[in-house]
Formats: sequence, structure tokens, C-alpha cells
Amino acid sequence: MRKDMTIGAVGAGGDGVMVLGSLLQYLTASRGYFSQMPRFYGAQIRGGASAVKLGLNAGTLSLPKDVMDILVCFNWEKYLEFKQELPFDEHTIVFYEKDAPKGITLPARSFRIPFSERSERVTGSPLSKNIVALGLLARALGLASHRRAELVRESEELTILSENLAAFEDGGSLLLEAPLSELELVSAMPIIPKVVLHGNEAIARAAIYAGCQAFFGYPITPESEIMEYLAQELPKKNSVFLQAEDEIASAGLALGASLVGVKAMTATSGPGFDLMTEMMGLAAADEIPLVIIDVQRGGPSTGMPSKSEQSDLSHALYGGHGDAPRVVLAPYDLEGCYRLTIESFNIAEYYQALVILLSDQWLGQTLVATNDDFLRRNYPIIERKRPAADSTNNYLRYQLTPDFISPMADVGAEGFVYQTTGLTHNENGTPSFDVETSQLFHEKIWRKLLPLTERDDLCKIFGNPLSTKGIMTWGSSAQAVLAAVKDLGLEDEVRVCIPELICPLPDKVKKFLESTERLLIVEMNYSGQFHNYLRSQVGLPKKTMVYKRAGGRPFTSLELSEPLSEALK
Amino acid sequence: MTTYKTRVRPIWCAGCGNFGVLDALTRRALSNLGIPNHRILIVSGIGCASRIPGYIDTYGINSIHGRAIPIAQGAKLARPDLTVIAIGGDGDFFSAGAGHLPHAVRRNVDITCIMVNNFVYALTKGQISPTTPFLESGEKVLVGHHTNPPVDPVLDMIAFSVSTQASFIAQGIATDPLHLSWLIEEGIKHPGFSFISVLTPCITYTAELFAAIKSVASYLREGELVELPMSSEEKPWRHNPTDIGLALRLAQTPVLEKTHLGILFKGVSPDRAA
Repeated sequence: MRKDMTIGAVGAGGDGVMVLGSLLQYLTASRGYFSQMPRFYGAQIRGGASAVKLGLNAGTLSLPKDVMDILVCFNWEKYLEFKQELPFDEHTIVFYEKDAPKGITLPARSFRIPFSERSERVTGSPLSKNIVALGLLARALGLASHRRAELVRESEELTILSENLAAFEDGGSLLLEAPLSELELVSAMPIIPKVVLHGNEAIARAAIYAGCQAFFGYPITPESEIMEYLAQELPKKNSVFLQAEDEIASAGLALGASLVGVKAMTATSGPGFDLMTEMMGLAAADEIPLVIIDVQRGGPSTGMPSKSEQSDLSHALYGGHGDAPRVVLAPYDLEGCYRLTIESFNIAEYYQALVILLSDQWLGQTLVATNDDFLRRNYPIIERKRPAADSTNNYLRYQLTPDFISPMADVGAEGFVYQTTGLTHNENGTPSFDVETSQLFHEKIWRKLLPLTERDDLCKIFGNPLSTKGIMTWGSSAQAVLAAVKDLGLEDEVRVCIPELICPLPDKVKKFLESTERLLIVEMNYSGQFHNYLRSQVGLPKKTMVYKRAGGRPFTSLELSEPLSEALK
Repeated sequence: MTTYKTRVRPIWCAGCGNFGVLDALTRRALSNLGIPNHRILIVSGIGCASRIPGYIDTYGINSIHGRAIPIAQGAKLARPDLTVIAIGGDGDFFSAGAGHLPHAVRRNVDITCIMVNNFVYALTKGQISPTTPFLESGEKVLVGHHTNPPVDPVLDMIAFSVSTQASFIAQGIATDPLHLSWLIEEGIKHPGFSFISVLTPCITYTAELFAAIKSVASYLREGELVELPMSSEEKPWRHNPTDIGLALRLAQTPVLEKTHLGILFKGVSPDRAA
């Protein structure tokens, strides 16, 4: 019996590959299976290539495996665009609609299935061919037939199936025609239905949980799902949603909303993040809480909008002129997207600071089926420090306090009127150009963030605590690193350190490195931005290796096995 | 009685037109409207005029060059109960920040936008701005230097605001704070995006140009005949600020031939310009 299974589907835009993948994910999620489903697509809205890779697991959340167990191919030409993402081998079962072109050698268990014809026969249209394929896969995976109709009724997401039940059932009957018995996939036990969402939705939901009442954005791949979710949900709560004219405006609008006391956020990807840079400086200088989500994609310039990369780290850390402090957080999984978005608001509000949350296309758009406990947990919510009502005498907006955090009056509060400016200013907010004021001003905005270095909870360390062999990684690459460590059986031999708080760097990272003799750093960008940042912050072991490359394809356990073995032997 | 003035001393040159704008706001418009100072937020960009929030005893932020309008809209959308005023210069709002203007207009967010137009980049010492009148060669050069090749004709604030159908459009002059304050009061009271252009002398760089503009300025009064340039062969009409078509005709007049002061247009609907 198999505990996990990876299923790929590929076709042209309009073949319904995304729908096929999503429905199969919902079906299996309702049967208690964990899964992750990254999506791969091109630039075209219609007619382009589209692929999904659904990694099912009966017992735990894991990455899809490198090589497909099952591949559904509607279009071989499109398959070739994603053959690196969806490789198959001689063990793979392939269901395909049209004959493979020369150069593609099909494995033994390959079956030509006339999905379109079958769809046409039972529904009168070839459009439901993806549902036929779904029926076939559901049957092959042994999702008990008597339960199928029931499942369809239970789940809102599966409503589309009830309209296509004929195609779905017909697909199921196809299995009898292929000389193939049901695959031996272990039942998820106990059957706890899973919630299905991607990182973008997790971020949007967390923003609402954290008390975000104003969102401003501008459409950009691969961020738009955050904006679209909030466009639906915020108006229902009488909160502000606005699609701005550009990302300068969306950051400015958010900053304006925050200035008057409302928790505000904007979200974007690389090119839009560039445009937000001047507002980042103002938020830092004027101590206005601001949360910016950057769902990274391939760069520089337009780069690869639909592909993942971790190359905005340097911009998040250093972007902008002047010495502008900021907090940089980076989740590495779905739960982190949710938890760290709440954390972003808490930190922004508490420290009156700019917080940048670095997600990426992989985290943002990979649909994950998992337990929903992280969505039901109670998270503390922190509000900015406001002046006490009776403290109106000589209110100083930027009063120097022991922790460098000054009570911030909401615009509109009586008795606390102040003027602020992006010019270097004194405690009163009045411009001042003398060096002493400038020094104090910088000390205040920088030193207030130092307590964050004690946030050990924002740095995850896995593996054998006694090991002196270490791996450091961040963001979605961490998932592949953890998978590789597990697959290579290295759990007892190495420690993996994943800082979710990247700036300021937690002390826990420094302690980790002090007891590390051999280090491997893994990141997905060409120049090694994370490595360079770490070098600037802390001493690295002499035996430090870096595995880095440009983005475009997710790291896999297979790809990382060599550098891991090499660096840590 | 709130004075609306802080104790910070303006950095402006003696005789700067910005004092007239400050006076119109603090001594007149805000006082006349009686809005408590803590209910007001003034957002500015960067430039001489944008220093103004520091001198007004309301909530204020002197923000980023060109970006006052997005910040002001964000504040107003989040707290509709506040009176939000965006102030900046011609370079600030019409060059660096010009991309934000048509969107503020179409959203019709209820903020009052005061454009202090001195026709020049004064803080950086005299470069041409998008509103600097374009002069044919051979004519007297009134401001600084020209672009070479001459690809930089004037972008007219009023023509722009009319063509994008701002729901309230007015033009005042810094040397008449009484009239200007009336325009500002009307703009603040107007339930929608208000655009007020203020012709302002830069005593250092555009004093002569301003004098030329002021000499052809005349006031618009509702129901009375509009004054047209000497060269105009049009038949004067009676000013009707609810007619966007008439506002467009007024806006098409080059500023050096005739400068109209007053409310050019006031949309009747609070949601959209008529």
C-alpha cells in the first residue's frame, strides 16, 4: 500500500487542467488526504500551457515527489514546456489523449484515453474532458464509488461536479477499459477533512484576522489572489478596498490610512515592490505602521512573472535611499503565510514600523490541503501604543522613551495635534537639520527594533541539536531542503535553520552558527543574496558552501540531494 | 478661538506668495468654517508650498514629492469624518505626481486639493515646471531657461481638471487671500474632489511673470458676463459654474491672455461631475 502519490496534469489553456487538479484536490481533501499542488503556467490567458502537480499524502503534509506516479496529458506539445516540472519514468502511469510525438518514450503502463470523445458522448460537448479525467483518477485512487455522489453534495467547491456527474461517472467506468486495477493508496486515517487554500489566500485571511481595515493594491502576477480575496471580503466588513492607479499610490494610500489610525496593507510582486520604495522610506522615517506583502517572482525587470524566485531579499533589506530601518519576515509554508501576516501587523503596529513580508509564487499559488487548526487558533493581536487621554499637555509625537517607541495619536484625536514630515525631525516632528538631532532620530528608528532579535520563536531549527553540520535556508526553498534531508535520511545528522524573521536577524541564528562547523546555505537566486546578508551580519563557518541558482523551477529533493551530500559529508 | 498657526517660522522668502495661501487657510477659511483643528489633516508633497503643514496647527504631514494625493485619499477613505486637504506646488502635483490626479478626480474622494502654482521649481532654484508658460522664440523670456529642443509646452492645470471632469474646479490668486479663502471654504464644503489652483508669485523667480498674469486676471461672478481676452472674437456669455462646457471654454484661454479667478465649475451631483 502506498502512503503518497504524485499526480501531474498538463494541457493547453482551456483544457481545464487547473479545474481538474483543484477538483481532485478537493475530492481527496474531503477524504482526509494532505496535498500540495503547485501550478505551472505561461503568460497567455487563453491557449497557453498549464500544468499542475498534485502531491497526495495520507499521513502528513509533504511536497509532491519529483517524478510523477500518474500523468494526465491532454497535449504533448504543452507537456514539453513543463517536462522539467513534470518528469515521468518507467513506473509512471500515463493517461494521454493523443499519440506522443517522436522523442517521447512512453512507459509500459501508458493508456490512450479519448477524453474529449467520451465527454462529447455523455455531455454533448468535449469541454468536460477534464471531468472525465477526474472521474478516471478518482476511481484509480480508489475513492469509493458509493461515496462519490455524496462527496459532491457535501462540498461547495465540488458543485461544478454535480452539473457534470455524467462525465465524472463515465470517467470512472474508463478504468475498467484500461488494464489497470485501483491503485493501492492508503486511506487517510482518521478521515479529517482538509481545508484547501494557497498562501495568497492565507495572507489575505490573516490580514483580516489581524484587523486590517484598509487594503490598497494594483494587479500583478503572482499576487493578484490576495487583492481579489480582499476585494470580496473587506467591503462586507465595511472596510476599505481600493484598486490604485499604481503601486506608488497603493503604498501611499495604505500609509495615509495607517496615519489616521486604521490598520492598512498593500501587496505586490517585484516590479510593484520597486515602486513602493519611496513610501517605505517615509513609513520608516515618520514611524507610520505599514505592512507590505511581496509575492516574489522571477526577476530582474519583468523577469518571469509566473515563476518563483527568492531574489527580492536584497531590495526588501536595503531598498531605498538613506538609512531606513525595516522588518523583513519570510514564511516558508502555508501556516507561516497565515501566522506571519498576523505577526507583520503586530510588529508594524507595536514598533510603528515598516514590515515587509516576503512570500513567493510557489507559496502564493500552490494550493495546499491540510488540517485547519492554524486557521482556528487564537493569535494575540497587538495595537499601536496611543497616548493616554489625559496626556495632552505638551504631547510630543516622537517623544524619546526608554524603548524608543512613542505613543502615536490617531489623526482626529483631540489635544494631540502634531505635524510630521519626511524631513529629519525632532521629538515634536519639526524639521531639524543639526547633526545631534539627526543622530538621535536615527537611533530612535533603528534601536526600537532591536528587541526583535530576541524573537527566537521566529527562527525554526530542525534536526539533531547536537550536530555541528548545519543548513540555512529561507522561504519556500526550506520545504525542499526539509524534504531532501528526510529523503536522504539525514535528520539525525544535520540541523536545518530557517529564520522566518530575517531582519533584524534573530540571536538564535547567531547561536546556531556558533555551534556549526560545516554549513550549507540554500537559496533560489543567482547572486546569493541570503548568503551575502548573513555574511554581513554574523561570522560564518570556514566550511561554508552555498547552493544557489536562478528561479524558474522549484527546488526538489532530488536536485538538492547532491549539494547536501557534498556539503555535509 | 483656534488660530490654526504653529510657532514654526516659515522658510519662505519675504514677499513669497505662499504667505497669502497660509493666511487664506489659517486666518480665514479654517476659522470661518469653524472646524476644530484636530479634525483636519493637511497632506503635502515636497517643494516650497509643501512646507505648509508645519505652519498650520492641524494634523499634518509633509510627505513625498508628488505623493500627497494618494496619502490624502488613503486618510480620507479610512476616516471619512476628517477634513483632508492636499497641498502642493505645480511641479509637485503636476509633474512628479501628475499620474495620481486623474484617478483622484474619477474616484471623487472628498478631499480638497490646493495647487499652489508659481510656474517654477523654486526650491531647486528656478527650473521650468510643467506650468511655465511656453513662449515663442523672439518673445521676451519670462522664466529661466528653455528646454532644448523645445519639447516642453505648458500643461494647463485648469484645462486638465476640466477635461478630467473634476467635480469642483476653482482658481484663486495668492495676492487676494480673502477671495482665495472663500474658494477654499467652498471647496472644503463641496462633497467630492475639489481642485483649487492658486496663482502665486515666486518673488525670486517669477515675479515678472506673475505680474503679467495678474494684469490680465479678472473675477468670474455667477450670472455676470465673463471677460474674454482682448483678441477674442467670441461673444461674452454669462458665467454659469454648473456648465462644464462653459468651463472648458474658459479653460482654453491661455493664461497670459486672460486669467479667470473664481469657481469655474461645481458639479451638482456629489457623486460625479455633471
